[in-house]
This record gives sequence, structure tokens and C-alpha cells, in this order.
Amino acid sequence: MRFSTKGRYGLRAMIDLAVYSNGEHVTLASIAERQGISTNYLEQVFSTLRKSGLVKSAKGAQGGYMLSEVPSDIKVGRILRALEGPLSVTDEDDEEVSENESSIRKCIRINVWEKMNKSLNELVDSITLEDLAEDYRKRNGIDSTMYYI
Amino acid sequence: MKISTKGRYGLEAIVDLAIHSSEGRVSLKSIAERCGMSEAYILQIFLILRRAGIVESIRGAQGGYVLARDPSQITVGEILTVLEGPLAPVPCIAEKTKRSKSSCERYENCTARSFWEKIMNTLNDVANSITVEDLVKCYNSTVSQNTELEYYI
Repeated sequence: MRFSTKGRYGLRAMIDLAVYSNGEHVTLASIAERQGISTNYLEQVFSTLRKSGLVKSAKGAQGGYMLSEVPSDIKVGRILRALEGPLSVTDEDDEEVSENESSIRKCIRINVWEKMNKSLNELVDSITLEDLAEDYRKRNGIDSTMYYI
Repeated sequence: MKISTKGRYGLEAIVDLAIHSSEGRVSLKSIAERCGMSEAYILQIFLILRRAGIVESIRGAQGGYVLARDPSQITVGEILTVLEGPLAPVPCIAEKTKRSKSSCERYENCTARSFWEKIMNTLNDVANSITVEDLVKCYNSTVSQNTELEYYI
């Protein structure tokens, strides 16, 4: 029961952006170096993030990305759904609600899968990117008032 | 981030077993027929469940399986964890649960990991709050609703 590398690395990259951006564009190379993720892979991830409207790219030689909204306005659930699709503990194909759905399957669907999915989505929507950025700063001894040139 | 057929079928088979437990032992063949699964696959699942102490087997010509405990004492979480392993959204948490050293160098002080752990804890809390008995009760009320509807047709 796993998130893909796209979701995992994408979330880490967004946290990095929230911590190190300070209103400036951040290059993928710098994120790659800090987070130990390949630049090539980050390009794929950021292509998705840009299309979802979560980041903006900079034009010109410098390049780079910044968040399109402040981190406190970005729910982590939104990031994960952009990268992974709907968050569910079951594959949609397997759990189709067919006319012939047995009573046992219906009971399990309603009382187990839907309950787990609801809690999962409520949890990830209760946490913002700023919450994770703040945790990251504390763990790495980064003063949030520092400016990065 | 998905629960496989092992977990889904295993859960369904256990609920079926619980529903038919008043008849004493239940054969895998009958479970397989009612649930529309292959008997061989259910056998694999039940061997795991037996080793985990969730079901007991009764040998012989009239053999079959019974739940090892009262359905109110068996949680969905326990069944899923036995069949699927830890409900971990990322590998490093599953590794920790298996008590082996994690291969990720950021393991100790990782922001993302504590977030993933929150997810795992939430999923476990929900799964552990549902018992097999809850699902049997749901089944009984679903069936009696269906029976009422048929009566009026």
C-alpha cells in the first residue's frame, strides 16, 4: 500500500521550495542537490506540479520555480492528489460498485474502504505545506526569518 | 497506495466465515463458492490466517475452518496487517516496523517521514476500530432490508 516516488519526491520538493524560496525562484538543480533527487526526475515532477497550478516557472537564463500560493494556503492533500490522483486504499477498477455487488462486499466497502479513504483525505487536508515547512525548519535548525540570496 | 486482492478477499472470506459460523465448521469450498473466489487462493490466505491465530482448522472429512476468537475480538486492522504487512504509505516506515535498519539516509530526522507515519497511524486507527462483528451486523441488516423489499414485489 504505497505512494509512488512521484508523490514522495514531489512532496519533499514542495517542502524544499517552501523553506528555501523566500519569494525568489529556486532552481531544480538546487532542490536536487539538497534533497538527493535527480534533476531529470524533478523535471517530470515539476511539469505535473506546474500543470496543476501549484508552482510557477521563471523565464530566462536563471530558470527555476516558485510556489504559486503561500504555503499556508496549500493543503498537502492537494499536492498529493495532483501527483497521485485520487487518494484511495483500493484500486477503483477492483472496487467498482456493480449491480451484483454482494452484501458482504457492500458492507466492507462502506464500513472499511470508504471510512479509511475519508480519514485519509481528511488528514491530508488538515495539514498545510507551511506545517511541513515549519517542521523541516525546526529539524534542520533553519531560522524562518533568514533570507537566502 | 492500495490494498491487494489478498487483503480484500481475505477480509471478505473471514466475514463470510463469521456469518456461517453457527453451522459449526465452514469449508473453504463453500466460502469460495459464495464469494466467487478460487479455492486455491483462499487456501493460501487461510494458511496465513491460521498461522496468525485468526482461524483454526478442523481436519477430516467433515473438516473446515472456524474463527479462533469471537468476531468482536478480531479487527479489520489485524486481518489486513497479517495479509498485507504494515499499512505503510512509504517503504521506510514498513522497514522500521519490521525492525530492520532503514536504507534511507534521511531516516533519523525526516520531516516527510513523520507525515507518512501520521497517515499510517490514521489508517491503522480506522482499521482497528472495525471488528468482524461490526461487518456481520451490517450484513444482517442489509439482508433483512433486501428481504423486506422482495416481499413487496
